Amino acid sequence: MRREYDIDLLIGKFKEKDKIALARLISIIENHPEKASDIFKNFNHIKHDSYIIGITGSPGVGKSTLTGAIAKRLLKEGKSIGVISVDPTSPFSGGAFLGDRVRMTEVSLDPNIFIRSLASRGYRGGISRAVLDITLLYEAFGMDFIIIETVGVGQSEFEIYNLAYTIIVVMVPGYGDAIQMQKAGIIEIGDIYDVNKKDLGGADIAAHIDMMLDDSTFQGGWRPPVAMTNSITGEGIDELIEYLYGHKEHLELSELLRERKRNRFAYKVRELLYYKIDNVLESLISPDEIKEISKTAIDNKFQIYDLVHDLFSNVKFERKKDD
Amino acid sequence: MVEGKIRVLMSKPGIDGHWRGGIVISRALRDAGMELIFGGFQNVEQCVESAIQEDVDVIGLSIHSGAHFAYVKRLLDLIEEKGLKDQYMLLVGGVIPARDFSELKKMGVANVYGPGTMTKDVVEFIKENIMK
Repeated sequence: MRREYDIDLLIGKFKEKDKIALARLISIIENHPEKASDIFKNFNHIKHDSYIIGITGSPGVGKSTLTGAIAKRLLKEGKSIGVISVDPTSPFSGGAFLGDRVRMTEVSLDPNIFIRSLASRGYRGGISRAVLDITLLYEAFGMDFIIIETVGVGQSEFEIYNLAYTIIVVMVPGYGDAIQMQKAGIIEIGDIYDVNKKDLGGADIAAHIDMMLDDSTFQGGWRPPVAMTNSITGEGIDELIEYLYGHKEHLELSELLRERKRNRFAYKVRELLYYKIDNVLESLISPDEIKEISKTAIDNKFQIYDLVHDLFSNVKFERKKDD
Repeated sequence: MVEGKIRVLMSKPGIDGHWRGGIVISRALRDAGMELIFGGFQNVEQCVESAIQEDVDVIGLSIHSGAHFAYVKRLLDLIEEKGLKDQYMLLVGGVIPARDFSELKKMGVANVYGPGTMTKDVVEFIKENIMK
């Protein structure tokens, strides 16, 4: 029953804008990252850039519904959109209940949108490992906009900052007081803040965010605006889209967009390097050795730094010199 | 070959408001290590488009309206129209009279689950038959 995929065949169809091929290439990249370069080498001639929007916030604040509302507006302008929605993988079963698409049913049949739900599969930071690769696929497909919706996050999951150009941090009425707004982390990364579910109030939250922003300095010269939306009725979405275009223009007119792009690839380069180093490390230090040290540490907990240091002192990485 | 997690779309075609069964089965599949995409209320076109974009292995239809023959036929027709015949395992659950099971299977449904189904039976059926 499970299908076999032929990369060359899929690439041919992908170039004809076939969504089935796009979906299957995503599966290959998600399950077999080692095949990514075989896929991407077919796109070397494509120069298209998509504009990438990140939507993040706690569970249940309405990220998916908001994603659908933003997509609906952009579709109306004739834009094409690739959506990536991430939900958490269970640390117990390895399974996942992906419940983001169900909020976007209204736009799901538009020919200019493609929506893919991803499970985080143990990846840190509120996204999944495959997210950047999928944005590359969407760019090769020619999407005007990409919307990445993170897992419902807590205070310190903000990998999305490295992947998107405009970050929308979504909150809801009752989020917290002025103290919450002073904390580091998620509250710092917004280019736009959105208080969603405005039918429940939230003017106080918007005011607290505004005050927090008034106390901040913005090196890039962009002072994040605060929107209030009801993503079910669409109230406030026009204003949010205006802010989005405002920020996009701000990045484009300055050198900042280039900087964000560099950041995006620096992130991937680092990740790929770590992945390679991980593999080398695994070949040099066996799981048994790690288990052994962990066991020793139970009775020698204050020596944990020394134990690891001793083990590592036998490992030598060397870089070949080019002559 | 694309291994990795088994991906399942759970869809409720039509407008009967009985969510519980679909949710319970979805939860069981999640706990069995599968990636479950919950489609919720969808018409047949939305269901097929979701299955395509999510690249699922299994489509589960939860139907309590009595219109199972109509939905299954339209779904299978549309899948064939898209050139995807026999590419998904189609499962149907809900209030389905036992006398309709064999007819549904003849149409191309892999298995049918009526009231009283044990969730582990659904999990086992998928795991056993997905690689065939």
